[in-house]
This record gives sequence, structure tokens and C-alpha cells, in this order.
Amino acid sequence: MRKQKYNAEWIKRIAMSEIFTVATTLIVILASVVSFSIFVRIYRNATEEDVVTSSEQAVVQVRNMVSGYIKDMSGVMDMIHENIGKKERYQDEFLENLLEVRTDIIAITTYDSEGRLLDCWSGGYEVKKNYLKNLSYDSKVPKETAAAGQLYITKPHVESLFVDYYPWVVTISQYMQRAGGEYVQVAIDIKFSNIARYVDDVGIGQHGYCYIMNHKGGIVYHPQQQLIYSGLKEERYATILKEGTQMNQETIYAVEKVENCDWLIVGVSYVDEMITSRVEKVVHTLMIIIPAVILAAFLAGSMFSRIFSRPAKRLTKAMGEFEKNTDGFQFHPITGTKEIATISDSFEHMVLQIQRLVEQVRQEEISLRKTELKALQAQINPHFLYNTLDAIAWMCEEERNQDAEEMVNALAKLFRISISKGYELIPIEKEVEHAASYLKIQNYRYKNQFTYQFDVEDECLLYYCNKITLQPIIENAIYHGLDRMVEEGKIRIAIFEDGEDIVFTVEDNGVGMTEEECREILYRETSDRVGIGIKNVNDRIKIYFGEKYGLSIKSELDEGTKVIIRMPKVTERNYVEK
Amino acid sequence: MWRNKSNMIRLTALLSAVLLLAGCAYAGQGTDKGKDGMSNAGKKRKVALIAKSTTSAFWKSVYSGSSAASTACNMELLFEGPEKEEDYETQNKMIEQAVREGYEAIVFSAVDYKKNAEAINAAAAKGVKIVGIDSDVDSNAVSCRIGTDNYNAGCVAGQAVLSGKEGILYVGIVNFEKRSENGQERERGFFDTVKKDEHVHIVETINVISTTEDAKKETLRLLDRYPHINTIVTFNEWTSLGVGYAVREKRAGEKIHVVAFDSNVVSVGMLETGEVDALIVQNPYAMGYLGVETAYNLLNGTPARKERIDTETLCVTRENMYDDECQKLLFAFE
Repeated sequence: MRKQKYNAEWIKRIAMSEIFTVATTLIVILASVVSFSIFVRIYRNATEEDVVTSSEQAVVQVRNMVSGYIKDMSGVMDMIHENIGKKERYQDEFLENLLEVRTDIIAITTYDSEGRLLDCWSGGYEVKKNYLKNLSYDSKVPKETAAAGQLYITKPHVESLFVDYYPWVVTISQYMQRAGGEYVQVAIDIKFSNIARYVDDVGIGQHGYCYIMNHKGGIVYHPQQQLIYSGLKEERYATILKEGTQMNQETIYAVEKVENCDWLIVGVSYVDEMITSRVEKVVHTLMIIIPAVILAAFLAGSMFSRIFSRPAKRLTKAMGEFEKNTDGFQFHPITGTKEIATISDSFEHMVLQIQRLVEQVRQEEISLRKTELKALQAQINPHFLYNTLDAIAWMCEEERNQDAEEMVNALAKLFRISISKGYELIPIEKEVEHAASYLKIQNYRYKNQFTYQFDVEDECLLYYCNKITLQPIIENAIYHGLDRMVEEGKIRIAIFEDGEDIVFTVEDNGVGMTEEECREILYRETSDRVGIGIKNVNDRIKIYFGEKYGLSIKSELDEGTKVIIRMPKVTERNYVEK
Repeated sequence: MWRNKSNMIRLTALLSAVLLLAGCAYAGQGTDKGKDGMSNAGKKRKVALIAKSTTSAFWKSVYSGSSAASTACNMELLFEGPEKEEDYETQNKMIEQAVREGYEAIVFSAVDYKKNAEAINAAAAKGVKIVGIDSDVDSNAVSCRIGTDNYNAGCVAGQAVLSGKEGILYVGIVNFEKRSENGQERERGFFDTVKKDEHVHIVETINVISTTEDAKKETLRLLDRYPHINTIVTFNEWTSLGVGYAVREKRAGEKIHVVAFDSNVVSVGMLETGEVDALIVQNPYAMGYLGVETAYNLLNGTPARKERIDTETLCVTRENMYDDECQKLLFAFE
């Protein structure tokens, strides 16, 4: 429960746009990383297969060429076989021609079954008279090779029969039966030049290569033979390689057997350059692309979210403003996506409606008040009327006709002005007359217990004011201030201009009021008595002219009370407008 | 959790930026890696191999080794040497010129241990990497020395002499240029080996000009002066030939036991026919290859594996000359 609340707290602080941006970016990052690793794995496997296939292909190609070459040599061997029984002259001619045509053949030698050198055709090279050792003769050549067609090939050795010429050769040997019936071993010494052509240029990848070895792992031909002979390089795994494809941490070996002899073609390529470097290249590219995509996603995310959230923010702001200032708020429609536009339209509509409603409520209230007031004003305080009429009757009885007449006149004026044809505002002159009539009547009734005095500036007389403004205040002064007094009471009424305002003051020297009483008079509805109370006066002024205007009371106990009324200058003309 | 409204956005931006940077850094690293692959560099590095000579089989083999290495390392190789193996001045000029022409590394074999030092130091002062092969020079600027352990080779020659003939050995020594470091080292090794044996009498040591003709002439004079000499030791390819020819002329192949240095087709033939009885064979191909390869590594900031790399030597006699091992070292594969 608490946690939920906590969550709700922090989620409130995050804007929609941020969630959107972050979510987009995170999704893109996640997707990138996942697809990246999957892709790299798949790519690596594919590359591996690819590399294995291509090195196999390269090796098969070399194998085919070398096989072709061996077959070719086999053909040469057959030709020698055909010619070897012929007369010496033909035989020599044929073999010398052969040596001349086939530059890769260095020498052809024949041996009897004891291994003695019978003949040597060298193609022009000088043959040593006494050779130390003949590496071209191989005693291990089985005699059956004649039948099987299998060629017997030695490991590489130098040609040891020539003076000052020691090329590296391999010897292909075969036994054959001469016309005479005896067996001779024929040995062809071949240079590596042709084989080198097949092997040297085969590249597998950038640094991969092929070489030829025999089944024991001895190197027959290697593109870097001299490097191997100088001890600078070795083929480490040569002795354990088998036919097929083998791979270790660094190297891929593809091995194919050559037909009709014990040679194997080995293709060497490097995992590093063939696979790793390719994969790395892809990884490099991806490492550039993926952050770029993520960045783009981030930018796009924040852009989209801005498109959506900026109007949302503006809406929020507009709502805040509207809340603070309902009346004066003016809504400017917000452009944005469809949703935003809809919200904006709805809000605009709502603002107008609320403003209209508020205005309506206010008007209704005002008119209600006015009706109330009119009803109140229309009421005649019956006690006041009875008392006054009693007093007049009493005057008539005493035959104080003059006084009675004055009283009746005053009463008549009082009522006439009170009603004023139903207008709320009357000229101040009339209001003063109204107050004077009231005071006159009360003065008779209170038997001149108090005196009163008007100090009215003439300039003020033509302005308008709410009717029955002074009378309730004077009434209050008489009843609360002077009624209970022993000594003579005084009431002073003053009206004067104050800038743009008119100020009325009503002062008495009565018993005064406490602050609490003052507040009560101003703010509590009079229910005990009939007639217009001071609050009513204050309310009316405020409704008509606004909060600035209205009543204030200053009072001190046993000193007196001063009521100050402030209202704007209202001329006849702007009263009509109003 | 997110104190500031924009914290989350900043974090995401930061994350993206970090990834981007990582990507770039990774890619950048990728291009750096190129130097491992030997032939990836855009511009070819230039290396000069200044030899003592360019005509002997020894130096030809050095050349094929160095050119194999320069192909493997994708470098431009200049191979040159003076006409005469005593001509240190030409060598010095060659060094200067190579530096002028912008060669970044010099693989060098000194004619004169002392007199080549200044030129080498000057070249090194200009930032050229120096690798010494075969014959050393008196300079601290040499980053790596590659070649035969000459003292040891001298010892091997000594062993070959001791195992040659029965009885008292009257030994004549035909050496070349006295100021050349490797010849002196070989002689020292030889002396140190044979002096313990009371059968050995060193008759005389002569220093000849390193040509077949001069060696032959001087050897004949030596044999005329001391006819009782039954053993001759000589320390490089040309002097070996000279001695061989002299012995052949004297028809003394049986009588005189000759221990010679280096191999070419002629001296191998003499070994077979008996004028020469043992050849101390070095591995010039490896010297050339390793020299250039080391220079390449130095240029790429990889220090040499060792300060000294000894290439192998083999004592080849008539008996073992056609063994697999000897064949490989004796005869170049073309």
C-alpha cells in the first residue's frame, strides 16, 4: 500500500515525454544488443562454413592439378616404357628429346635390379664421373609397381649426379621389364618448377597457402620451402593431419589426398584473418551503426514526444492560468496532433461555457439581491409610522397645528423619497432631504433631546447616491447612541468630495460601541427589527460600485461613533448608462 | 527517484553517447590493428641491407632470405654491398646515402669493426634503426645482432680439424681481413679449441684479401714455404675456394685436411672430390630473413626478441653431406 503510494509519487514527477523517450531508447538498445549478438553468432557460423568450404575448394583445385601432373608423369613413364626396349639410338634420341621438351624433368636414370646405374640422360648437364652418393636411386621401390601403375615418389632431395649443379628434385621410380626380359628401375628426377606453379599462387585468404606433404608428414613442396629448410618455419601439425578439414584455435587445415601417390595437399588458412577479422569488421560496422541508431532513436523519441508533450504542457499551463483567473482568461487554441487538437477544442469550449456560467450566476445573484432590496425598501416600518402618527395626533389635540403640519409634511417627504419611483440611485440633494425629514420627525418625538447639523458641500448635491443610505445610520445613532444619554446629543452629517469619490460621514457623541458591536452591525443581517439595517446599506453600495466602496465605522465608548460612507461620483448620465 | 525532471533524459542521452563513443573507439582500435597483418600498411617501409659483398653464394642467400622477409612484411628492400670485401669506405658511403634516401632501417654487416662505427652511429642518430648481421660493428646503436656465433663456429672448425687426421697436425690458417670482426672471432674460437691438444702445431696464420685468386696465390706460397703443412683452416667462402683450388693444383687433396667455411656449388664439389674435407656451413638465408624481419618489428615498435640471435652452424663432411639436415642447409631451394 505504502509502496504503491510511493510509486505514484515519483511517477507524478515524470513527464509523458520523458517516459516516451526513455522507453523508445531502451527498447532500441535492447533490440540492438539482442539482434547484434544473434547476428554476430550467425554471421560467425556462416563465415566459418564459408571459409571451410573455400579452403576445401582451393585444396581440391590444387589436388586436381597435382593429380593431373602426376598422371602426366605416369604418361611419361609409359612412353619411356615403350621406348626403353628399342635400339639404343632411338632410345637415346627419344629420351634426350623428352628432356629437352620437358624442362621440369632434370634427369632420367635406369638401374639394374642390383641398383647399379645403367644409364643416365641429363639433358646436357655434366654428370660426375665418380658420384659420392646417388639420391635418385631408391632401393625400396617394389617390383610390383610395374603392374599396379602406382608411382613411387621419393621425398625431396638434391640431384647429386651433376657437376656444380644441385637442384632440389623428387624422383619418380618404376620398375619395368625390358624387351630382354630383365627388370630395370627407371627413375625420373623432376624439378619443383611445375608443381610450384600449382601451389605457390593458391592463396586462401590473405595469408593462407597450400603445401604438399607425404603421408608421413614430411614436406614435399611448400611455398616457403627455403624458410622451412633454414629452420625459420615449421609446419607444426603436419604429422597429425588427416584427410578432411581440421581446425584449431588459430588455423584451419583442409587436407586432400592425391591419387596414385602418397602425397597429401594441405590448405592452411588462419581463423584470425578468415573469420575473426571478417567478424570483427562486421562488428566494427555494427558498433558504429548501432549507437547511431540508438542516438537516432533517442532524438526521434524526444522529437516525437515533444510534438506530443509540448502542446500537452501548454494545455496544462493554460489550465493552470484558467484556474487562477477564471474571468479574465482568454484561451488561444493549441495546435498539435489530432488528440491534442481535440483536447484543445474541448477545453476551449469548456472555458467559454464556464465563463458564461460564472457570469450568469453573478448576474442572477445581483438581480436576486436587487429584488430583495426593492422588497425591503418597499416595506414601511409600521412602528415608526404609528409612533409618528400618534405624535401628530397628539399635536393636533394640543392644537399645535403648525407643528402637526410640519410633521405631516416631513412624513410625506420621507415616504416620497423612500419610494422615488423605484429608482435605486437618487441625487444626493434628495438623500439629504430624506435624512433631514427623518431627523425632524425624530426630533419632535424625542422632544429635542438632540441637535443635528448638516455640512454638505454644494458640489456634491448633484451627484447620485443609493437612496436610504443615511437614514439607517442616523436611526442607529439615535437608538444606540443618543437614546440612553442624559445630556444633549449631537448628530453631525457631512458630505464632501474626496478625489474621485464622495464621502459621507455621520457622527454622534453617544455612548459608542465596542469593536465587536461595530462588526456585528456591519456584517449581520438584521432580523429583530423591521427596516433597512446598516449591513444592507453596505451591501447595496458594494453590489453597485464594487468592493472598494462601502461603510466603515470608527467608535469609542462614551465618546461617540463615526460612520464613514464612501462611494464613487455618479452623475446622472452615467447612472442612466448603468 | 528522478529528482530532476530531465535527469532521465540526460541519463539516456549519456548512455547513447557512451555507446557511440565506445563504438568509435572500437572502430578506431580496429584500424590500429592493421599493423599486425603484415601487408596492411598503406605506405611501404624502406629497409636497406648493406652487405660486405653481393657476389658470393653466402650473400646471395642472405639476399634471398631478406627479400623473402621484405615480401612477407611488405617492405621495400635495397640490397647492396661493395665490390671488395675490404672496402669499408664504400660501405660508409652506402650508409650515408641510404639515410639520405629515407631508408628507415639498415641491416648491416660490417667490413671493419671499428671504421664502420662512425657512419652507423651517425645513421642511428638520425633515427634509423640498425640491425647487425653476420659481422659486428663497434657501435651501441645496433639494436639486434643476428648471425653465426663466430667464436662457436671457430670451435666447430677446431673440432673438425682435431677429428680429421691422425698424428701430428701442422696447421696453416688462411684468414681474411684482420679488421673484420667475424673472421677474428672464428680464429679465436679455433685457437681456443686446438691449443689444448699437443698434436696441433700452428705453423702460420696468413691474412689474405678476400678473393679466390689472392687466397689461392697466398695459400700456394704458404704451402711452398711450409711443405709439411697437413691441415689448412680457412674462414670464409672466398678463401675456402682459394684454398681448395690451391690444394687441387698441388694435387694434395689426400694429404692435406682442409676445413673451410660456407658453401657454394664449387666448394661442395670440392668436398665431394676431396680437396675440402669439412665445411662449416652457416645459415645466411636465416640471417637475411631475420635481419629484415627484426628491422620491420623495430620500425613498428616491437623490440627485438633478444639482443643477439645466433643462427645455426653445421659441420658438413663428405660422410654427412647428403643427409637430410645437411642438404637443407647446403643447397638452396630455388
